[in-house]
Amino acid sequence: MEALLSLFPKDDLTLLAFIVLLPLVGAVVNGIFGKRLGREAVTLMGLTAIGGAFLLSVAAFLILFEAQHESERAVRLVWHGWEWLKLSGPGGAPVTLTVALSVDALSGTMALVVTGVGFLIHLYSWKYMEEDPGYHRFFAYLNLFIFSMLVLILGDSLPVLFVGWEGVGLCSYLLIGFWFDGEANASAGKKAFITNRIGDFGLLVAMGLMLRNVGALDWNGLEQGRGNLMEGMQIIQQIGWLGMKSPVVVNTATLVGLALFLGCAGKSAQLPLYVWLPDAMAGPTPVSALIHAATMVTAGVYLVCRLSFVFVLSPAAMLVVAFVGAATALLAASIAFAQNDIKKVLAYSTVSQLGYMFLGVGVGAFTAGFFHVITHAFFKACLFLGAGSVIHAMHARIHDTDTSQDMRFMGGLRKYLPITFLTFAASWAAIVGFPGTSGFFSKDAILLSAFSSSIVPPQTAVSAPGGPMDVFLWPTWAGSVLYAMGLAGAVMTAFYMTRLFIGIFFGEFRGWKIVKGWKEPEHAHGHDHHHAHETPGPGMKGPSPHESPWQMWVPLAILGALALVAGLVNAHLIGIHLFDHWLEPVFATANQGVKTKGELAEGPFLGAAVAAFAVGVGGAYWVYVTQKGAPAKALAEGSPGLYALVRDKWRIDELYEETFIGAVDSLAEIAVVFDKWVVDGIIARVTAFVVSLGGTILRAAQTGRVQAYAFTMVLGLGGIGWFFVAPHTDYRLRADERNGQYTVALTPGAGYTYRWDETGDGKWDDKEFGPKRELKFALDADKSQKVRFQVRNGFGRVRTGELLVHRPKVDKSGADPSAMEAVTPEMRAAASAAGLKVVAPNRPPPKIPPQPGLLPVPPGQVHP
Amino acid sequence: MQTLGLAVEHYVFLAGVIFTLGAIGFLVRRNVLVQLMCIELMLNAVNILLVAFNRVYPANMVGQIFAFFIIAVAAAEAAVGLAIVLAFYRLKGTVMSDEGDSLKL
Repeated sequence: MEALLSLFPKDDLTLLAFIVLLPLVGAVVNGIFGKRLGREAVTLMGLTAIGGAFLLSVAAFLILFEAQHESERAVRLVWHGWEWLKLSGPGGAPVTLTVALSVDALSGTMALVVTGVGFLIHLYSWKYMEEDPGYHRFFAYLNLFIFSMLVLILGDSLPVLFVGWEGVGLCSYLLIGFWFDGEANASAGKKAFITNRIGDFGLLVAMGLMLRNVGALDWNGLEQGRGNLMEGMQIIQQIGWLGMKSPVVVNTATLVGLALFLGCAGKSAQLPLYVWLPDAMAGPTPVSALIHAATMVTAGVYLVCRLSFVFVLSPAAMLVVAFVGAATALLAASIAFAQNDIKKVLAYSTVSQLGYMFLGVGVGAFTAGFFHVITHAFFKACLFLGAGSVIHAMHARIHDTDTSQDMRFMGGLRKYLPITFLTFAASWAAIVGFPGTSGFFSKDAILLSAFSSSIVPPQTAVSAPGGPMDVFLWPTWAGSVLYAMGLAGAVMTAFYMTRLFIGIFFGEFRGWKIVKGWKEPEHAHGHDHHHAHETPGPGMKGPSPHESPWQMWVPLAILGALALVAGLVNAHLIGIHLFDHWLEPVFATANQGVKTKGELAEGPFLGAAVAAFAVGVGGAYWVYVTQKGAPAKALAEGSPGLYALVRDKWRIDELYEETFIGAVDSLAEIAVVFDKWVVDGIIARVTAFVVSLGGTILRAAQTGRVQAYAFTMVLGLGGIGWFFVAPHTDYRLRADERNGQYTVALTPGAGYTYRWDETGDGKWDDKEFGPKRELKFALDADKSQKVRFQVRNGFGRVRTGELLVHRPKVDKSGADPSAMEAVTPEMRAAASAAGLKVVAPNRPPPKIPPQPGLLPVPPGQVHP
Repeated sequence: MQTLGLAVEHYVFLAGVIFTLGAIGFLVRRNVLVQLMCIELMLNAVNILLVAFNRVYPANMVGQIFAFFIIAVAAAEAAVGLAIVLAFYRLKGTVMSDEGDSLKL
């Protein structure tokens, strides 16, 4: 500890930069040199980068733990990177953005989970992706993902977080479409990316609003200045003909909360933006485990926790968060009932569990929600990796991606995959809420808070132009409704997860028949080298599924164990509150806005939670084991319409296709018409015609004969020579008409000499040509003077020029006031007689309309 | 200013004659080899001018140095030019410049 602190002083924790940098180095090395380095080196690089980041995260956690233990309040250790942007805040005050990283209890815990689970999944990918031709690319992306995720977590301000936020989105896109030769994979990647953009729009709007009102975007600044968000903002003008009595004014804090939540809903797959996550399962299974279950999709929950002090300012926004979460939990769980693809079931389960987290943070139970993030990271990563292990084993029999993930062809696998079975069972127990497991404690905490806690509006009134605004109050029925929704979701989760568990591991293996008569297919992906290649034949039994190598089951075992016991760090029921106490200081500000109903007897809630588990699991057992799936089949056949609707995911994708995507497509078609007829039809043709006309004309000059070109050059040379030899009489006249001072300056040139005839009487002032290039003379008002001059150049050639200068009369009509102010010689004389000094008005001379007298007279022309 | 008993004007006149000879030769002859020689004539006419005027201003050596540069450039130009002529001959079987009109429509 001492050594650690001496290496990394607490006031500028460089350690954080190293945590972030290690995975970036791994990504760069693997991405650029990976192909030449070979698989061993890529594995070593990828694994050590993440392993190192994990160890450094542990070190940062220890330093933080010490610091928080000493000071008894929220500690945030910052690495102040460098200055990034200068923005202007409220009233034009400058806001300096720095690229800074910070760690506190929340981000320290999250970083531990991300690097820890990330390392286990890297280890797993070692064997899972072994035969893939894009092995180095995979590890480069995975390392880049960990880098972005760490930037997201450790960023000390919203813009830095946003960089990580976009980075994980990019990596998600790259990894979903990792096998980009499949059309479906590529479009799933695009879908994820575009859906996330909608959410990012919300995040950007929230940033802008906070910059405008608070004038800070870093966590400390936002926490201190959050009161400035309590201000009314007009969002819609008063529209008389719609019968509106006044413009629509809302609390800025509500706007900010909703905009932030739009971003969270995109990233964390909540209604209405959840549609991308199930499709994202097109990526390799470790990716589903790491990005689309354990870490990236929880970024939204993390952001709500991070900015909890902003969210609690608006009970309305919090209520939206809670209800969207609960509704998503229910909807996704209902879809999971009818899915047969095991990864799809897990994907909808993830969406549903994310809904739980938002339900938790939405009612102000930030610790409970975040606790579920962590336990979910363990058990869902374990479930996905277990599914990967199952798919890996299934590839002994089949080589088709869809069929190998279909649970209708599985069954009885516990005999062949004992370790996978055990770990899957552990994480199954956690997700269905088996009493004592991690999922039980975290879900129970969320449900309890959903019933008991509510958000109270802050004491400060919302200022608005027309007096303080009405505040939105947390409805009294919300707790019961949210609790009921959560409980129903828990029953459904228990049911479909048990269906999945039974379908994979119990009964008889139904995959044998697939293998008969198969031919060696073209390897779409490489991770299936394990089966023995037997000669296909009619009597062939084929290879049997088998357990995965240690690189794959060790992560499973660790995650399974964590899924079982991790709940004990925050087991309310048996009086353990370690996690609560650890995070308490972070949420201290936010918790001022959270009200909890007094002492509640936990007994009934505990009973309800256990009952939910029992009903769900028991129901699934009865349906799928006792009755061999007959009731489910009967229900599906009894109401085929409903069954098809659920199987097709309530046709939400089709709805979006018809409405939003259709609208955008129509817009694109209109643009195509414009492009075809206006841009291509008129503009392009006219341009082409002009260019070809020019070409036809110029082509005549291109004779292709060297002599013709050379002759042109000689002509050009002759022209230049003539220009040098001929004398030039260009001149410049500087006229100060107010004081009657004139200067004629002739063009300078090498070897030029000049002579003048100032009076224009035909007699040269000097006989000889001299170097005098300028002639100055004075002129009285309303007088003209003719000036003649001669130049002689270096070749002895002489040319004569002349000009006539006329000074206008002083304008006494008053039309031009500046002319009246002109200092005449009489005024000057009178002033000096009185002992005064005359200062000429120090401003530009007035614009004088062109006078015929100022025009040069061409040589030979007589002036009238 | 006398150089070898001659005024600088004589040299200017000589250079002018040589340059004109080169220019006219370049314009009227079709043989690329002769054209190359004419280019050399023009370059050397300029060299004579530079060296002669350097005698008028003996304080600096810019004229003479420049003449050396021109000689070096002329050597490079001759090498490249002859290579082109050779390639041209292999392609067309002639060294007449008006035969090289493949790019013309």
